[in-house]
Amino acid sequence: MKTRLIAVLRALAFVLLALVLCGVIFEFAGRAASTAGNPYSAILMFQSIAEGAILNRGAWQDSLRWALPLFITASGVAISFRCGYFNVGAQGQFYVGAIAATFVVDGMRGAPAALVIPLTFVAGILGGAVWALWPGVLRVKSGTDEVITTLMGNFIAGLLLVYVTAGILKDPSGTGQVMASRPVAAAYRISTSSGLSPTIIVIAVIVGVAMWLLVNRTAFGVLSSLAGRNPIMVVWQGARLSRLGLAGFVLSGGLAGLAGTVEVLGPNGRLVSGFLPTHGFTAILIALVASLSIAGTAIVSLFFGGLAAAGLYLPVLVGLPAAAIDIINAAIALFITARTWPGLERLFKHRAAAAGGG
Amino acid sequence: MRSALRRDREPKVDQFVIETLRYGTPLVYVTMAGVLASRSGIWHLGLEGLMIVGCCASVIGVVETQSIVVGLGLAIVLCVLGSVLLWFVIEKLRANPIIAGLGLTGLGLGGTDLAVQSIYGSQASVNAPFGLPRLGPAFGPYGVLSVLVVLMPIIVFALWLLLRRTRFGLRLAASGEHPFAARSVGAKPPRLRLIALCLGGVLCALGGTELALGSLQIFAYGMTAGRGFMGFSAVIFGAAHPIGSAAAALFFAVVGALGIRAQLIFGDQVPHDLLLTLPYIATVAGVWLSGRLRGGARAAATFGELRDY
Repeated sequence: MKTRLIAVLRALAFVLLALVLCGVIFEFAGRAASTAGNPYSAILMFQSIAEGAILNRGAWQDSLRWALPLFITASGVAISFRCGYFNVGAQGQFYVGAIAATFVVDGMRGAPAALVIPLTFVAGILGGAVWALWPGVLRVKSGTDEVITTLMGNFIAGLLLVYVTAGILKDPSGTGQVMASRPVAAAYRISTSSGLSPTIIVIAVIVGVAMWLLVNRTAFGVLSSLAGRNPIMVVWQGARLSRLGLAGFVLSGGLAGLAGTVEVLGPNGRLVSGFLPTHGFTAILIALVASLSIAGTAIVSLFFGGLAAAGLYLPVLVGLPAAAIDIINAAIALFITARTWPGLERLFKHRAAAAGGG
Repeated sequence: MRSALRRDREPKVDQFVIETLRYGTPLVYVTMAGVLASRSGIWHLGLEGLMIVGCCASVIGVVETQSIVVGLGLAIVLCVLGSVLLWFVIEKLRANPIIAGLGLTGLGLGGTDLAVQSIYGSQASVNAPFGLPRLGPAFGPYGVLSVLVVLMPIIVFALWLLLRRTRFGLRLAASGEHPFAARSVGAKPPRLRLIALCLGGVLCALGGTELALGSLQIFAYGMTAGRGFMGFSAVIFGAAHPIGSAAAALFFAVVGALGIRAQLIFGDQVPHDLLLTLPYIATVAGVWLSGRLRGGARAAATFGELRDY
């Protein structure tokens, strides 16, 4: 319990540090903006973000809309990180899942919804899982570093998305400017464009409960988190390390694909070229801030969902650049895996020595 | 008949080489930054962010002061500052280099976006009035290339000398591979890493400047388009050897230029977006191959975590 409390405090401290760094950046950028006639202060920026995330009317529903898909992807990322594999390809898996889902829902137009919707979900999950499977196989079979393969997979998936939305899946009635698929028929949608519906909430809750049980109450969960910390130990226990790792990859890819499907059938309502380009990165952050705990991921998702909602609110209603949200996310990424602060270790050592002596 | 054919072909070869060098030069510069970091034991995934900062700072510097020196200087200062920040987070705060590097990349991408929007209002891109000095007509068709293209092989060779033939380079490699051994001969791995990262910052600034001011004379959001990550892969592909990694980077550039060529020749018959994936696929293949040849990447147990305790 005490170690968990320390972990939470540590995460909070470094998030705070990141926000201070952001404050400095915003202050400078705000001063520079006076030449363009729109100066702002760091305080105004943070205040506007808070308004966009929770304070305004309807803001928290918006935040929840962004938090749910992020939570689904992030819980997958947490699983693969627990297995000791740095699957940083959530973005690509999210895209490929969305593409696969769109193929099914677009190809089966006219069929009954009770058939189409489940098949779409299966396709989306499979798409994401396949996009995580190949880096996983390369990693387990040939030792190819998964950080590079999954990163490259993100770029390839992004271009694949451009390709299908400009070609095979392109909406023939659409203008040349926006590359997108045909809108999903209303019968197959699982939410309106507001993005909050009982279906999506139920999906997120099911994912959350299932993943929590998997991590905390099954042999797979125990072994996988051991595999992340001490692979040799797991081999000695007689478990198949490669199989554990592959399962982690496939599970995280499948969940990212599920989130992609939710976005297509839910709030987006169609596949748009280059949609939500920072979804995967944010999901990785969420998993790390929550120090890979599933329950923690659920809570932290709300915070980052709020930031995502604020990112839409800033440019439209307050006229502030939305890049501020990307900067906050990046600064948190910079600091979140930090384990100490200069001098802090010495302080603890000193106290421990004093306690030992007394 | 034959001579006519050759005359027809030669400019195309020139064109191809020029495209390769244009694509490859910024890539080689960031790759060299990655080599330095990798030698010192850090997997540098912040290259992309430093590079875009280099692009943005050089263009803003040129636009605001009409001086290429100020532009380049601003780029170098900001990239070195970014490198120091990364060093502090990795070395002093003991953060995971991969995540911290990705954070630095995000900070660079978001920060340049914020800077451009704040200074120039909601513009998509910023045009520079002029670019880097060109080689000039004395070099025939290659005169359109910038001076940084010529500097590139010199830098690669200098880096090879630095890493393989000097005390500093050998100590750097030691602190990357076996920090304990490096300490035992009196080297200070953290300080060596700081120097390596800062030198890398300068190289990223050069790469970014070449990308923004070499041929395009423009800054656009996200214009690096993964080149920093490609440079990182070239480091892995080339086993962190300066010349091997530069060759890997140029190979990626050839693949990229082939994509552009194919587009020009075959037009819409070849899907453009799929051709753009070629360098990324080549990267995956290259990393896979280098892993096979060397019996698996070493990242298995460490995933780039510093083992210097």
